[in-house]
Amino acid sequence: MCVLPAVLLFFVFMILPTFNIFRMSLYKWGGFSSNRTFVGFENFTKLFRDMKFLQSVENTLLLIVVVSVITMSLAIIFAAILSREKIKGQNFFRVVFYIPNILSIVIISAIFSAIYDANNGMLNSILALFKGADAEPVYWLGDQSIVIYSLAGAMIWQAIGYYMVMYMASMASIPESLYESANLEGASRIHQFFHITLPLIWTNLRTTLTFFIISTINMSFMFVKAMTSGGPDGSTEVFLSYMYKQAYTNSSYGYGMAIGVVVFAFSFALSAIINAITKRDVLEY
Amino acid sequence: MKKLVSLFLALILALGLSIPAMAEGTTLSVAAIETAYGSEIWQEVTAAFTELTGIQVDLVTDKNLEDVISAPMKAGDFPDVVHLATGRPAALTETLIKENLLEDITDVLSMTVPGEDKLVSEKIAGGFTESSLTNPYGDGKTYMAPMFYSPCGLFYNAGLFEEKGWEVPETWDEMWALGDTAAAEGIALFAYPTAGYFDAFFYALLYECGGPEFFTQATNYAEGIWDTEEAQLAFDIVAKLATYTEKSVPSNANNDNFTKNQQLILDNKALFMPNGNWVIGEMADAPRAEGFKWGFTALPAVTEGGDRYSYTWFEQLWIPSEAANKDAAKQFVAFMYSDVAAEIFAKGGAIQPIVGFADKLEGDNKIYYSIYDNGAKAALGSFAATDPVEGVNFADTVFGTINSLVSGDKTQEQWIEQIKTDSDLLRQALK
Amino acid sequence: MKEKRKPRFTGEQLYHIFIYVVLAILAISILIPVAWVFMASIKQNVEFYGSPWALPMGVYWQNFVDAWTTARMGEFMLNSVLTTAIALALLLVVALPAAYVLSRFRFRGVKLLNTLFMGGLFINVNYIVVPIFLMFVDADKALRGIGIDGLFLNNIVMLAVVYAATALPFTIYLLSGYFATLPKAYEEAAYIDGASYTRTMVKVIFPMAKPSIVTVILFNFLSFWNEYIIAMTLLTDPKGPKTLPVGLMNLMKAQNAAAQYGQMYAGLVLVMLPTLILYICVQKKLTQGMTLGGLKG
Repeated sequence: MCVLPAVLLFFVFMILPTFNIFRMSLYKWGGFSSNRTFVGFENFTKLFRDMKFLQSVENTLLLIVVVSVITMSLAIIFAAILSREKIKGQNFFRVVFYIPNILSIVIISAIFSAIYDANNGMLNSILALFKGADAEPVYWLGDQSIVIYSLAGAMIWQAIGYYMVMYMASMASIPESLYESANLEGASRIHQFFHITLPLIWTNLRTTLTFFIISTINMSFMFVKAMTSGGPDGSTEVFLSYMYKQAYTNSSYGYGMAIGVVVFAFSFALSAIINAITKRDVLEY
Repeated sequence: MKKLVSLFLALILALGLSIPAMAEGTTLSVAAIETAYGSEIWQEVTAAFTELTGIQVDLVTDKNLEDVISAPMKAGDFPDVVHLATGRPAALTETLIKENLLEDITDVLSMTVPGEDKLVSEKIAGGFTESSLTNPYGDGKTYMAPMFYSPCGLFYNAGLFEEKGWEVPETWDEMWALGDTAAAEGIALFAYPTAGYFDAFFYALLYECGGPEFFTQATNYAEGIWDTEEAQLAFDIVAKLATYTEKSVPSNANNDNFTKNQQLILDNKALFMPNGNWVIGEMADAPRAEGFKWGFTALPAVTEGGDRYSYTWFEQLWIPSEAANKDAAKQFVAFMYSDVAAEIFAKGGAIQPIVGFADKLEGDNKIYYSIYDNGAKAALGSFAATDPVEGVNFADTVFGTINSLVSGDKTQEQWIEQIKTDSDLLRQALK
Repeated sequence: MKEKRKPRFTGEQLYHIFIYVVLAILAISILIPVAWVFMASIKQNVEFYGSPWALPMGVYWQNFVDAWTTARMGEFMLNSVLTTAIALALLLVVALPAAYVLSRFRFRGVKLLNTLFMGGLFINVNYIVVPIFLMFVDADKALRGIGIDGLFLNNIVMLAVVYAATALPFTIYLLSGYFATLPKAYEEAAYIDGASYTRTMVKVIFPMAKPSIVTVILFNFLSFWNEYIIAMTLLTDPKGPKTLPVGLMNLMKAQNAAAQYGQMYAGLVLVMLPTLILYICVQKKLTQGMTLGGLKG
């Protein structure tokens, strides 16, 4: 059977370890000693009273919404332009837009530190042109009400190319003839976009919605680790960064794994809901 | 068939037996964090140890030592000796303390230093083996050996003070006055690399506000300790200092950008920062204001003529209780206090807490290590070890929140409330 | 061509200008930082403390030389190439048929399998890496009893297997999403011609899925190439094999340690170049698709 090797690999390297995680989340364990105490669901009850965890839930949700919505719309628009329009230097743009995705997070965080820097950063220098040089600078990474959006900005910048490529690949499979006949009927570009392009890549869009949830949870951890270490004062703590802190630096491995379980359940449920909402019949052409 | 099976079994047996036989001649595995002092000092020291004792050493050094050794440790594969301080972001040493996985090395103190005729306890400078940083459980037993000490205090640009004719403040009142003077010239009074650097600062401040007895109670989360006048005084000073802090500091107060905050001192944008003398090496390549000269002082006193403290920061060396070669490991620990080892370390800038050793220092280093001769008292210790409390990280609560005080996102009252809450939780989990 | 048919010529022009402006802004916002990285890689350490936007004072190639030697780049580069190649090959061999079967055929348990793989998407490597590691430790201990040493840990082939396994849910999800949109007409035509299932799959479906296969290769290449956490955990021997990102960590800054910024960026550039080249090579393939097939919509 064709599926067997896949199932086997999947089972050994993903299901089994995950099962172990679920088991560990029921223990109080520091991570090293042989001293494990079974505590049942105590880790979970503590979790829902832990203000810092709740803040990380809030931050993660905000990032998922902001990053997904903006990245997705921009990526679709650019993909549509680059695959439908006759643009000079099309290949050039395709290559360039994908570059952020290739860069290592370390580079991206260094770039954005230079852009967001309060005293001689690029953004504040540009703002100073409008506000005058003496105006109080904006603390992009220091102001706790702004910093999470600064992170979102960096994440969007990084992700657009990735999704653009994905959408372009699926737009490429739309037969040219559909557009040709639409043109003959005199349908406008915008009309074509909403009535041909969007419906035909709908499956792909749904797929990427799930990716958005997963990758935002993942990438926000990488970005936070590289750019803010969760600070200032926990204001950019996200799911996985908090899990890491608890599991590896607060000697609460079991508690950290409980966070892991919640993250798993949360993201699964969220994308199941989204999946159900966006369900349409698969269009064939 | 039966023959084959028994042959096979015999083979397995032979192989199984040959494994312990291979481990003949002890090889000591040493893991050391590579810091600003470099990794060469460790190569030389381990070579010197091998030469003296004939014990082979397998050395691992890494800037991110936690990443390298913690996975094998989870699998039960422990190094014999680890040099890794507490207070690092990954907090591996703290984890092992909480997990009771450190070997009691009290007996090392009464061992003779290899190659010398003195006892280890005679060589280690006074006080170093008495705080919770070496005796984490407060039971008089030593689990971690003190290494590489460094006085912590406030660093400033001495050149700027000469140029402006400013005096280095000796009391906090003078400090605030200087803050207002400097503000008029567009210079902030204070900056800090990351909020974590408040540990040394805050410990010294606790000593100043309430003395050693108060410090011990506070770091053991004594009931009601944070409601006392002494605690209030310390909180007030930190909160006031927050208002005098350069505004961009919280933006860069993380592992990635903290050098930008240190740069504020070099650029004359802020006057003081809490730090240790490793900062000089860390910023060696950085550009600086004209006439820049490092200056270093203990914390200002709370009252005129009151005690001034400088926190003594040091790193730790320990033996995991699961180590395979404990005897050789203990010899290695003892060797750390030999003159040979101390001199090798000193070449990299790392100073061992050995009696009289600081007197031999020359040049820049002398300024820092002579701070205690100039009237400042040494503050030692840290928050006591507890069993892990899920979701509570006291360093984050006490120090991390200072970022919010500076940016105005939290009030002093909220800060104190949180400290009290967490302190109560930790008291119940005390070891 | 199409544009000429539109009645309002000026509006059309405006629209095009607008598009170019937007594209150019985005391109600049990407190119400047990237140029910045290349610039940083030839700066001397001293220059990193000044304004981050200053031009380099000179070209300091020594960074690349130092990065190459400090990070043992030559050796690690080979390891990375091998690991990535094995993982990709394994992944495609395993995932392509599985994705096809799961998206096209209805049999007992297909729903369960689909749900499981879908669930697998939400399993995060960050937390399963420790259990995998412990599993390998046990396996190695067991094997040592029969005289085989170090088969699982410190072995880049096993690392590649883990990579392939962890990439399975993503890959299968992406591929079967794509297979679902392929018209059934092609297969039906093939069956009528008397082709077997396997033959149909290999000769008809896979060629049509080329854009998405290229996408899968590209995305997984990137994640394998840059992967750090699993490699760090499973390659424990300090003197044993390492991959590039792990080697690079030695160049990164750490608290209390003097940073070598120039070397770090040089190292990062060296790691980035292969991915950039690969993307430029395959990007055209990404958009060649269906129109090559025999049937038209």
